[in-house]
Amino acid sequence: MNTSIIEIQNLRELLEDKLQHEYLEKYIQKPVIDDEKLSILISLVNNRLSLSPTQKDQYIITAMMVQVALDTHELVPVQNDSNETNEEKLTKQLRVLAGDYYSGLYYLLLSEIEDFDFIHTLASAIKKINEYKIKLYYKEVESFDDFIELTKKIDSAVILQVAQFLYGSSLDQVIADWLFTERMSREIREAHISGQFPLYEAWQAIDQYSNHFSFTNKINGIIHKNRLKIADQTSNLPDQYLFIKNHLLSRINETKHHDSPTAEEG
Amino acid sequence: MRLPKIYGFLKKDLDIIESALHESIQATHPVLRKASMELLEAGGKRIRPVFVLLAGQLRDYDINNIKKVAVSLELIHMATLVHDDVIDEAELRRGKPTTKSLYGNRVAMYTGDYILARALEEATTIRDANVHRLLSKTLVEVSIGEIEQIKDKFVWDQTLRDYLRRIKRKTALLIASSCKLGAIVSGLDERDTDRLYQYGYNIGMSYQIIDDILDFTSSAKELGKPAGNDLLQGNITLPVLYAMENKEFKQMIEETFIHPDHTDIDENTMKMILSKLKSTDAINMSYKVSDLYLDKALRSLDPLPHSRAKQTLQDIAKYIGKRRS
Repeated sequence: MNTSIIEIQNLRELLEDKLQHEYLEKYIQKPVIDDEKLSILISLVNNRLSLSPTQKDQYIITAMMVQVALDTHELVPVQNDSNETNEEKLTKQLRVLAGDYYSGLYYLLLSEIEDFDFIHTLASAIKKINEYKIKLYYKEVESFDDFIELTKKIDSAVILQVAQFLYGSSLDQVIADWLFTERMSREIREAHISGQFPLYEAWQAIDQYSNHFSFTNKINGIIHKNRLKIADQTSNLPDQYLFIKNHLLSRINETKHHDSPTAEEG
Repeated sequence: MRLPKIYGFLKKDLDIIESALHESIQATHPVLRKASMELLEAGGKRIRPVFVLLAGQLRDYDINNIKKVAVSLELIHMATLVHDDVIDEAELRRGKPTTKSLYGNRVAMYTGDYILARALEEATTIRDANVHRLLSKTLVEVSIGEIEQIKDKFVWDQTLRDYLRRIKRKTALLIASSCKLGAIVSGLDERDTDRLYQYGYNIGMSYQIIDDILDFTSSAKELGKPAGNDLLQGNITLPVLYAMENKEFKQMIEETFIHPDHTDIDENTMKMILSKLKSTDAINMSYKVSDLYLDKALRSLDPLPHSRAKQTLQDIAKYIGKRRS
């Protein structure tokens, strides 16, 4: 079963509706919803036949809510700027509160359907991610590869926790690789347009001598290698995971043209 | 009598909760663990666990069962505090450096999120839908209350109702939920459970009103911050709302806070404002409102049979009512 665009759109609207808060939206940007994560989630959850339709919707919405809550807290500045304007201060304060509000909402929605195990699953994801994040904050990585691995863990922990809850750990590697490859590819595309490259900025904080060009080349190399690896992993998945196999194969097809020429050279 | 003495007989069980709190925040990363432990060891009255235990003692009390609720509630409270310090840019809490001041904003954010996650992991060991409905609703309401507090800052034409709704979310709901959760877990019937919720709600309202009064009547030394700090931060509390009924005070406030960044208010101006506020009947009227809530709290306990726990809940209410510093 492939995730249709309409399905993604419907759930995105449902999520946006739940996250909607008039005052917050006046001062902080609307939360960014990662469509790649959303579509993987839909595929994972919808193919679990033992779940009721309500459970399916709530699982998808709440997992994305947790992701949005964590991403919103990541926007709180590292340091307070003594020259910050009242508006900047207000934005910072509301980012703290928005993240807390979204976390509360996830708990509320799952309490309404009395799904204690899924509340626990998402709480465990939050716990793990904050352990990883603090490691990255203190630059506790030995190498570039370490950095990539840690960032991948932070990026995929919520989705992997859901995947493990529903299917065990067989899908961990392929999902984590896919999500992170897509993120790298997206960031490189956006860096060309806007000049903003969050992954590079994070690495630069660790290795101040790194340069944009060699970093981009390395990332392109990883993207290229990962695409081959993912294709291989996907085709080797057992039949019971046909849904995710189909999902990933169709996404690989759709995104083929996205990567820059450097990827092929890398 | 000091507050901890009133519930001194709970010491053994409070120690059990303290150990459970310690166990529950043993993060893998040393800084995350240290920051969480420092937060825990900074103390606090553990008033929420006290209410959970006392409500629980009114029926089938099982510390092993009830401690799960008490720990979850206290962890939620701690997570809120550590994020509050980022919002307020606070350097000290209870006289000790905050997580934010020791490790910066990011670590404070991670610590708060980690502790909240642990609270929810602990909470899910309780398989009672009523517990989770109440706890999750409270968590959301507390967040909304914090957002409302920021929204209402420096809004001088707000009403008494705005203020009461704000302190309900800010303080009263978590205390009301503490009482009700203790009652649910120990199997009290619905009527008594609601009575305890009413008790907690009214105590919480009274407590916050007195806190807001003390911000004007206590010394900077007693408060650990300048007197009138709430007003300086733009938080319009009950004494200010009452004092604004006085035209001269209102004019003074409007003239003082006319500049959008409010950075030019010196100590002398604040002293004048405090003195003017105290010359009105605002403090007295605020105490009267607090007393009304206190009476309601005590009345809601009346139908419950006499017990040591009930007596202690009454004593706590009276203690809170007499609080003057």
